[in-house]
Amino acid sequence: MTQLEINGLFAEYSPSLPILEDVSLKIETGEIISIIGPSGSGKSTILRVLVGLLHPSQGHVIVNGTEVNYKSPSALKSMRDTMAMVFQQFNLFQNMSVLRNVMIAPLKIKKEPEAEVEARAKEYLEIMGLGEKFDAYPDQLSGGQQQRVALARALALRPKILLLDEVTSALDPEMVNEVLDAIRVLSTKGITLIIVSHEMAFVREVSDRVIMMDDGKVVEIGTPDEIFTAAKTQRCRDFISNIIQH
Amino acid sequence: MSYTLQWGVAFDYLPYFLGGALVTLHLTFLGFLAGLIIGITTAVAQVYGSPLMQRTANIYVVFFTNTPSLVTAFFIFFGLPEFGILLSPYLCILINLALNAGAFLADVFRSGIQSVKTTEMEAAEIMGFSLFQKVQYVIAPHIAKTLYPPISNLYIIFILGSALASIFGVEELTGRAFNVDSETFRSIEIYTIAATIYVLMTFAASFALALVGRYVFRVKARMF
Repeated sequence: MTQLEINGLFAEYSPSLPILEDVSLKIETGEIISIIGPSGSGKSTILRVLVGLLHPSQGHVIVNGTEVNYKSPSALKSMRDTMAMVFQQFNLFQNMSVLRNVMIAPLKIKKEPEAEVEARAKEYLEIMGLGEKFDAYPDQLSGGQQQRVALARALALRPKILLLDEVTSALDPEMVNEVLDAIRVLSTKGITLIIVSHEMAFVREVSDRVIMMDDGKVVEIGTPDEIFTAAKTQRCRDFISNIIQH
Repeated sequence: MSYTLQWGVAFDYLPYFLGGALVTLHLTFLGFLAGLIIGITTAVAQVYGSPLMQRTANIYVVFFTNTPSLVTAFFIFFGLPEFGILLSPYLCILINLALNAGAFLADVFRSGIQSVKTTEMEAAEIMGFSLFQKVQYVIAPHIAKTLYPPISNLYIIFILGSALASIFGVEELTGRAFNVDSETFRSIEIYTIAATIYVLMTFAASFALALVGRYVFRVKARMF
């Protein structure tokens, strides 16, 4: 069943700076999609449009059969109810403990019972290997630990779709694996994952489909094997061979 | 020097001066408290408001931060009765203090709000925080710590600046010093005592604010 559909999407930060040009995608429920491409190709911008941090200038986003009206706060809210996003820079609330970071939205925004939220937050933090860090503050954690808190925080919202925006880019190489391991756990939970990543081996391992973007456009969509070993377009082949050579 | 100091005359009025100091304290406390509310509201309007709200808030801040407090006090004192609003001198000065404090505090709060990391605000946005919830859970805790010292300093300045109330007949500390001076003509003794009480008040306020800062906002402030 199609969970997310993007039709003819255009987005820009200013009229002279178009970022996305005529992007169309269909994503099925439970699918794991990775978006790859060079920096500035519009990968992260797609995610920002999907959560409403950037409004499209043209085109349609359809979530679970309902077109999102970006001018309507209630439509944006109901779209965000189905999604969560994890950022490259973690974006944790620095004034809150790890546990509070994970609990705050379900407790204060979704108004769920505190005991239930706390139990769930602790469970997700345990899954992320942070059972000893409930009372720590973000600045007391390593980058990898902070990113795992961010993953737990996103999961605590019980999203149907989880957006991961270059979640390992800001980490030391040795911390990358601990975060990728955490995402591997997520990939078995049936949540639709949209992953923007430069970790090609990881993308190839976990993805159902891979989207190659360049210059704001979708260049190619295919299974990991199709993209990594039998890409149809020259641009995709060039990108993959450059990445693999390095 | 032909002037002979006579402290006894001035000390006879000490309870009267202390009563005036009390008026100074509640005038500035209430004025500043109202100023805090005005300042936060104005800063939120400046940063997140509609273009009209931003423009209105900017005009208010620019007007009050670039006009002497005495002049705005004259506006309120003589201007409001023209619109049929008759208030006591105390209330006029209280309003003036609140509006002046609000404008200066709005500038402080605005810079504080803008110093909150965009990343935290984006996280709050997509998790569905309302503007009020962003202020409550993200902005306020972040800025409380960084803004506490400059806000404390502003409060001390406002205690001293409240002396202008005496011009409008409010019997706060300076006003009462005027009264006693006009009766006794012991100016040096009287204003020395008034100045000493001001110093003690600001020291006490600094100490109290530092204590609050240390134990509530975890700000490492020097007590003296």
